[in-house]
Parts: sequence; structure tokens; C-alpha cells
Amino acid sequence: MKDKIESILSEAKNMIAEAQDESILQKVRSAVVGKQGSLTLLLKELPNVDVSLRPEMGKLLNVAKNKVTELIDEKRTELKLKASEVSPDFDVSVPGIMPMNGGLHPITQMCYDLNDAFRSMGFEVYQEDDITSEMYAFDKLNFPQNHPARESMDTYWLAGHDSGSTNEKLCLRPHLTGGSVRYMQTHKPPYRFVYPGRVYRNETTDAHHERAFFQYEALIVDKDITFTSGKVLIKSILSKVFGTDVPVRMRSGFFPFVEPGFEIDMQCQVCGGKGCSVCKHVGWIEVMPGGSPHPNVLRAAGLDPDEYTGFYVNIGLDRLVMMRYGVDDVRLFHSADLRFLTQFR
Amino acid sequence: MKLSLSWIKDYVSLPDDADLKKLAYDLTMDTVEVEDVEYLGKRFENMMVGVIKEIAPHPNADKLRVCTVDIGDGEDKEIVCGGINLEKSMRVAVSAPGAVVRWHGEGEPVVIKKSKLRGVESYGMICASDEIGLGDLFPSTQEAEILDLSAFDVPAGTPLADALDLNDVLLEIDNKSMTNRPDLWGHYGIAREIAALYKLPLKKFEAAQIQAKSDFKVEILDSERCPRYIGVEMNGVEVKPSPFKMQSRIWRVGMRPINALVDITNYVMLATGNPTHAFDADVIKDHIRVRRAEKAEKLLLLNGKDLELNEDDLVIADGEGPVALAGVMGGAKDSILPDTKRVILEVANFESTGIRRTALRYDNRTEASSRYEKAVDPERCDQALALSLEYFKELYPELEITGYCDKYEKKLERAEIDVNLTWLAKRLGKHLTNDDIRAKLEILGFDVAIDGDNMHVTAPTWRSTGDISIKDDVMEEVARMYGYDNFEATPFTTSFEGAINQKSIDLVRNIKEYLAIRCGMQEVYTYPWMNDVFVNAVMQDTTGMLKLSTPPAPDLSYLRSSLLPNLVEAVMKNERYFSEFSIFEEAQVFTDTDYTSPYDETESLPRQRRNIAAAVASASKNVNDLFREVKGALEFMPRFTHMEGFTFRKETKPVWADSVVWQNIYTGDVKIGDIGLVSGKVTLECGIKNLKVLVFEIDSTLLKPLISRTNKFTHLAEFPETDYDISMLFDSSATWEEISDVIAIKEGGLVKKASFVDEYRGKQIPAGKKSVTIRLTIGSSEKTLTSEEIEKAAASVMKQLGKRMGAELRAQ
Repeated sequence: MKDKIESILSEAKNMIAEAQDESILQKVRSAVVGKQGSLTLLLKELPNVDVSLRPEMGKLLNVAKNKVTELIDEKRTELKLKASEVSPDFDVSVPGIMPMNGGLHPITQMCYDLNDAFRSMGFEVYQEDDITSEMYAFDKLNFPQNHPARESMDTYWLAGHDSGSTNEKLCLRPHLTGGSVRYMQTHKPPYRFVYPGRVYRNETTDAHHERAFFQYEALIVDKDITFTSGKVLIKSILSKVFGTDVPVRMRSGFFPFVEPGFEIDMQCQVCGGKGCSVCKHVGWIEVMPGGSPHPNVLRAAGLDPDEYTGFYVNIGLDRLVMMRYGVDDVRLFHSADLRFLTQFR
Repeated sequence: MKLSLSWIKDYVSLPDDADLKKLAYDLTMDTVEVEDVEYLGKRFENMMVGVIKEIAPHPNADKLRVCTVDIGDGEDKEIVCGGINLEKSMRVAVSAPGAVVRWHGEGEPVVIKKSKLRGVESYGMICASDEIGLGDLFPSTQEAEILDLSAFDVPAGTPLADALDLNDVLLEIDNKSMTNRPDLWGHYGIAREIAALYKLPLKKFEAAQIQAKSDFKVEILDSERCPRYIGVEMNGVEVKPSPFKMQSRIWRVGMRPINALVDITNYVMLATGNPTHAFDADVIKDHIRVRRAEKAEKLLLLNGKDLELNEDDLVIADGEGPVALAGVMGGAKDSILPDTKRVILEVANFESTGIRRTALRYDNRTEASSRYEKAVDPERCDQALALSLEYFKELYPELEITGYCDKYEKKLERAEIDVNLTWLAKRLGKHLTNDDIRAKLEILGFDVAIDGDNMHVTAPTWRSTGDISIKDDVMEEVARMYGYDNFEATPFTTSFEGAINQKSIDLVRNIKEYLAIRCGMQEVYTYPWMNDVFVNAVMQDTTGMLKLSTPPAPDLSYLRSSLLPNLVEAVMKNERYFSEFSIFEEAQVFTDTDYTSPYDETESLPRQRRNIAAAVASASKNVNDLFREVKGALEFMPRFTHMEGFTFRKETKPVWADSVVWQNIYTGDVKIGDIGLVSGKVTLECGIKNLKVLVFEIDSTLLKPLISRTNKFTHLAEFPETDYDISMLFDSSATWEEISDVIAIKEGGLVKKASFVDEYRGKQIPAGKKSVTIRLTIGSSEKTLTSEEIEKAAASVMKQLGKRMGAELRAQ
């Protein structure tokens, strides 16, 4: 029996020494010390062994068993330290499994980026309803009675609400600024708020024109504001959105609800101002109108224009997003086409 | 609007070496947007005047000839040409290699190269006028007619642009940027602005001195609509071409030269911005009356439109009836004809909004109406008259003025405004000296009187038709003359008390981010109007929906009262490309109900809510998995977005839902929306082929954001808790809601939680039954439970389920 034990032990030692992976060790373990293992079976035969030899054989068996277990554990540690747990032909170039596959609309992403930027400067976020009256869409914004935008070719009027006086006529809002008047009417100055939203114009669509598009209005109203403060605001915002310091220029522009009014241009981010096809070789891209709210607008909001003034900008979100990603057709934003939308994570 | 720089230079002495880039930039920054600066001569590069020396037949083509042409470089050129009017010694326009032409005036531009035409080498091209863009200036009278330049006495080889005096610069100005500046419509107006910007002298027009003895008269019957009307009756004119320079200028800014009488009126309009008109005096019966049209009065316009007039229209009439639509277009009857010998020149001012209404009413906007509708000042008639007479006298030396009448009944009041100088300094963010402010305004034509802190400003006539009316307008003038870019940007100083806390706004954002990022849904935007097909299929009833009066298309008139029709449409459209996807939208919905006046008591606005809806579409998942996936997204939403939780009931079936798979969603006792499987009927009607579509829609304005995070801390279990699964057979109709009600977790009890694991119907399960596996979490806060105690707690649950619901333990 002694010889048997020794031969089992030496064979096990050899196998363990040569083992290259865990599976061999497992095999050795079950073949030698498992329930049906060779040493275990010998142990079961112990009662049949001569009584005088029993203690010695018992001891030998236990030592051998412990030795095998010990060797296996040692070898296992050794294997873990030096080798991989998997076969060497494991293919790590296989692509990963995509996490849950969803996303926000690129317009929403831009809007939230702007919200974060403005909120970091102490602005409130405001939202208002899509349907408004002519009174708020035009009258309160200093649009003359005969302004072309009031006509149906530019505004979506509601059936059954498309005639009568301006407080009775209802439309899908053609811009956000009327909503800003509502904000001012219901809050106490000073104001510092942004107002993202969708607006509607009755026009023919093409790659650059949409019937529904997104604006982002920012308005600040206080007692001692100079119109040049607006420049700081715009620079901060564009720099946040584009991640670099974006040169900005303000030039004379006309909109009924501001006085003075500006067109605000940013340096073309494609050519860095040198002139390219994107900026029509001017180096500047018109991004937003702005200006000080017209005294009549402040009056409509219940403020004294001699006391209060402010600064306003209205950012075209679609255009900004188009510039951010190089999107060349504005109609894609309302397409609900997942081939387009899933590109923006 | 296109402007010619050489024409502008008639009125302002801009130096010849003026930096045009800077001029365009300065105008853009301070006045109007210059969209383009074009060097007109560039269109005619590599084109020159050639003189035909010989004309020989082409050996291989009947219609072509081979011309020997002198182009002034001492070496005669052979050019193949198909022109029908070629003559020896004729001066022609030659396009040499490198010139850009259009074949027969059509199609894409082509660069001229030396080439063989039917086997004969041709140096370049002898051009027809429309091939080099001169068709409107030199109209051809027949096919294949070559431009004959024999009238231009220049030597062979003279560059074409020099020969025709076309070395001009054209400024293209964005019309929108000058809608509020009627004074700029015309070369003189821009010249005046340039003179102010660069402090250059501006030409003044001498008022015309007219003596005419006759009973010629003009009558204005509505001076509100016609503040001023000057009529000049002239004898001794005739229809002939106007001088080339006048034609050329009219052409280069985008109009067509017609004949001298018409050209003078157009030229004066382009120069001064004040439209003028010439009537054939012989057709005017009695005297001219400016009056409102009578109802249903008829007028045949110059362009052939036959109008039935409206009482709001202003007309120029004679003793018999209307002869012209005032400020818009002349009539056919009074128009200049080849035999016209006597004309009445109209130099008038009309009120802007009336002109606009009339032009729009008949869809007949013209160069004249588009200027009048900007509000031209009546004083400008003087310039227009002076310039008109200058040209009439120059072109018709025999001219005799037989009648003259200037009715100026509604004098223009110059705008007067008081500006507080402290206010001005505050708003500019900069202190300018009084002299500086005065200089900036006076150069623009304002009169300025400063008394202490008050500045009294009187605007020039040309800025007094509405453009300058309040002190902010004056501030703008000072600021732009100083240069917007010269103001240093100063940060805002406003300070606010307290943090901004906007729970509802944050909640919607949290929900959108939760749906997109945690639930893997893609956000979409669709229009607020819906397609009739989807409205009918999904909503079935349009009662209470708002409609557009002029919708984008006849079948897109209903405004959405639910986000679902458009989402289902989006599912249908995406089915072509995807078989598994989830989308959601957050947007407003509208109904023609519950009108309120939250801002102004005279205004009444319909019910407008803000909904969130999602659609999960799958071709392969079973309805059970799909339902649990979408319901799970809803159930966990309150937890992740910090709002009060949802409960689900089965009370009112949504019209679009499958008869079984739907629930109503509640927060507290308020119903906020529905979840359900879109019924087979609806998907069929919507053209969805293979997808099962599970949707939910909730009204986000009814959600209740939590004031702060409210999860309470629970002590970690001191003693171990054990999960213990039981599987029991229930009636197939038993619901989890009933089961969990029976288990009824009690505070302090040993069963801490009962979770749904799965349910199973089928093999090994008797008909009419289902097996439900429930995971009980069992433990005690006082001690470690023995396995006997755990078994006992579980057994008690099973006993309850058996007693109350007839559930049996499933055989293991």
C-alpha cells in the first residue's frame, strides 16, 4: 500500500507540475482526493489493512492527501499570478455591448447646454404656451397694425379665432417675445430669465426654412443697464456652447420690439474668420438679433421705460445646432427619423 | 436693393481711392447690411472691342462664317461666327480665351478657349448681347444677332468694360435691414448717409423754378392719403431711347431701360427714392383728381390686370374715371405710347399703409409701391421734381412747360424729441461731451439745442415719417455714429437675492433624461398639427380639437390634443428601417375648451397642457415583456426624478388601446394618463405592418415634484434576512394586485417584502390556472430566525393565499 501511495503521490506531483490551467488541477483534484479519488478510495480500504500497519498507513494517506491539496493550491496561485484565466485566443477586438440605446434630441441637448450656462449666471428658465393672441404676438411688441407678419402668410391663425379684435384672434406663437411680456407682467423686476420654446411660421419649407423651429430668448431688465452689457452676455454664452472664445460683433439692426436693435454676428467657426463658403466669404455669421426692449414693450409689461431698461437676445437654436454638427437640412429636426436622431448622443 | 457706386458718387465726393471693403463694412456695422460688393467690370474680363476686317465663308458649314478681326494687339485673329448681321468694319464684342459667357444667354457659364469649329481654328467668340449678360441693355431684335457696337467710337482692342463705361462697383443691400429707413431707398439717401459717416460734402438739389401760366390744376380729395401732389404738364416730348449712360445705370441696378420718358421717371425714383410717373397728357380729360375709388369702379392696369376697385383704394382720376392706381401702377389708358407728345409728370407723396393695402389686395407690388409703403417724406418731392426737370430739359431742349401745380396740403411736421443727457450717458454706459453728441447728430441732419441737462432734438424731414420718434431712437443714432464696436463691453451689475428653485422645470428635464438615458428611449419632435389619417385612427373623434385656419396642407389642420397620433405616425415611418425601437416626445397639447385669462382679462386662451408620451415598438418581443418593460419605465420614473409616485388602475379604456392590455395612470387620486398596447385595428389603419406598439402618455403639468429628496434612511438589517421563493397555482384571472393585497406586508412582521418573480401558464399547469412565483423576504429585527421560523412565516403566507384566493402549492 505504501508503494501505491507513493506512486499516486508522485504521479499527482508530476501532473500538478505540468498543469497549465485550472481545468487540469480540477481533474487531478477529483482523480486523487475527490469522492472517488484514488487516495480517498485507499482511505476507505484502510479497515482492511493489517492493524499494525494501519496507523502508519493512515498517517501516510493523510499526509499524501494534504500534500496533493497543498500542491494544487500552490499551483493554482502560481497559475493565477502568471497566466490569464481564459484561453490565449480570446478575441478582445470584438466590439463591446452597447448600453441602453437612447438619447435626447439634438435641439434639447443644445437647449440644456444653454440652460446650464445661463443658470450658472443666475438666470431663471421660463416656459410659456404655444397658442397666443394677436395682442401678445404683435400689439404688445410694438408691431405696427399693418405689419406684414400679422397676415396669414406668415402666421398660423386658429380656425374660428381668426377674425375680430387682436385680443380675440388666436395663433400659434410666431416668436417667443410675447411670452416674455407675460413673464414681466407676472413677476417683479429686476428680471433675468431665459425662455426656450418652439415657434411657428406659415411658410414654404426647404433645407433652410421650417414651419416649426426653436428659439431661445434671454432677457435681462434692470435699472442701470447699458446696451453694451449684452455683448458680455453673448460672448459668455457662445464660448460655453462652442468651447472656445468666440469673437462677436454687434451691428445696427431693426426689429420692432427693440430700440436700439442689433444684429449679432459671431466669427465663423469653420474658417476662423478668414472667409469660407459657410460664411459666404465674410468671416462672420449672423446668429441672433438683440437689443434693448422697446419702451412700448416695457410699458406693455407694466414697467416705466424711464426707470427700467434691459437687454434681450433671441438665439435661433436650429441654426446653432446646424453649425455645431454640420447638419445641412433643417427639416430633419422634425422628421422623427431615428437614422438622424440617434447620431447625437 | 442694388446700388451703383458711380451713381452714389454723383452726390457725395467719395475719393476715387476709397477703400470699398471698409465702406461696405462701415455701412454694415452702422447703417444697413451690405450683402455683396460686385466689381461690375469683372463680368467682362477678357472681352474687348474688335473690328471685323474680313468675312469669309466657312468651308464646312453653311451657317458659319470665318471673320478676321482686329482686337488691337497687332495680330489679326480668325474667329468663327454664326451671326446673321455681320458686316465688314463693324465693331463687335469679342470674348477672348478666359472670358466667361453663356451660350445663347442660357445655361451654365462657360469659359472661352481657343478651339476648332467644324475644322476651322477659332480664336474666341464674337458675342450676342445676351451671351455676355447685356441682353436687357442691348435687346436683340432677331435670332443670332451679334451685338453691334459701331456706335461706340473706340479703337479696336479697347476693353469692353471701358468702352461701355462699365467699370462700376455694385453694392447689394439687404432690404430687410432698411425697412425702417425709408430715407435710404435711393442713391441719394445712401450718399447722404456716407457723407455723414465720413464727414464728406453732399450735393444739394436746387429747387426747381417753374413759371407756367395756365389753368392747369390738380385736386386732392383725400389729403390724409395724399399729403402732396405735384403735376407738371409738358409739351414737346417724344418717345425715343434715353442716353446710354441713363440706360446703363438703370440696367446695372436691376431694372430695364424702356424709352426716355419712362426711363427718366425710373431714374429719378432710383436716385431719390421718390417714385414718379408720366401720363400721356392727351388722354387726361379735364384735370387730375386724387381720390378714393368708388365701389366696384373699374381700372385696367398697364400690365393688363383688370381691377374692380375697393373704396379703400386711392386712385388718380380724370373727369371720366380712374386712370392710375395711386402709388402702385399706371393704367393702360394713360400710358406712354409711341405717339405721345405731351405728358403730365406726377411727383407725389402717398401715405404708406394705404399703398401697402392696395398693392397686397391686388397682389400687385411694384418698385413704386414697395418704396411708398416704407413711408417716404413729402419734402423729397422737391428733389425728385428738380432732378426730373433737369433730365426732361436735357433730353428735350424744345420742352415747354404748359402747366404746373404743387398741392401740398398736409405739411410734414419734423419730429421733436427731448432727451435727458444724464439718461443718455447712463444708457450708453459712456460719457460723451455735449459737443461730441451735437456733432454726431448734426451731421445726420438733426437740429440740436442743449439747455442744461436737456437736449432738444429736431429730426430732419427725411427721418420724420416714423423712423425717429422717441428718445431711444436718438440714443441709437448717437451710439451707431460712435460705432457699436467702439463701446467696451461692461458686465451686468444686477445682483439677485436667493437661489433659483424651479422644481417643475427641473422635473421635466429629469424625466426626459431618465427616459433617454436610463430607459434607452430616443427623444423626437413632431409638429403640433396632425395628419387626418392618424387623428382618425388613434383619436377616433375630433370633438374639442382646435384647428388651423390656413393649415400647411388640407389634411394637417387639427392641432394635437394628444401626442399619440404623431408618435404612432413616427413609429410607422421608422418601421422601414428598424424592428425594435423606443421613442418619446414632450410637447404641448391643446383643446378647444376651458378658456382662461391668466394675463389679460380681455384675452381668452384655450386649455394648453404639456404632455410626455412614449412609444415602444417591437417586432419580436411578446406583449407581456413589452408591457412590463414600458410599465417598469413608468413605475421607476418617480423614484429617479423625485416626484410623487404613480398608481395604476383599470377604469377607463383609452380608445386606441387593445381591449385587455391597458391601465390608467394616477398620482394620488388624479388621473394623469394611460398606458396600453395600441390595438390591432389602430396599427392596421396607421399602416404599421409587423410592430407591436406599447405607448404611454402622461400630463406633465399634473405631476407633483417633491420639495426635496424624501427617501427615508432605514437601518441596515441587524439580523440576516432570507429570500424564500414560493410557487403557487392561482386561477388564471387572479391578478398580482390581488395577490399582493392578500400578502399585506405589516410593519414589524417577519415577511418584509413580497416580490413578483414570474408567472407561467402551459404544460404541467392545469387549464384555467397559472403558476405564480413569489419571492418573500423574511427576517426579524430582534434575532436571527431559525429555518423552522422562516418556514412557518412562509407557510402562513401560503395559507392566507390558499384561504383567500384558493391558491394551491405547486407540486415540486
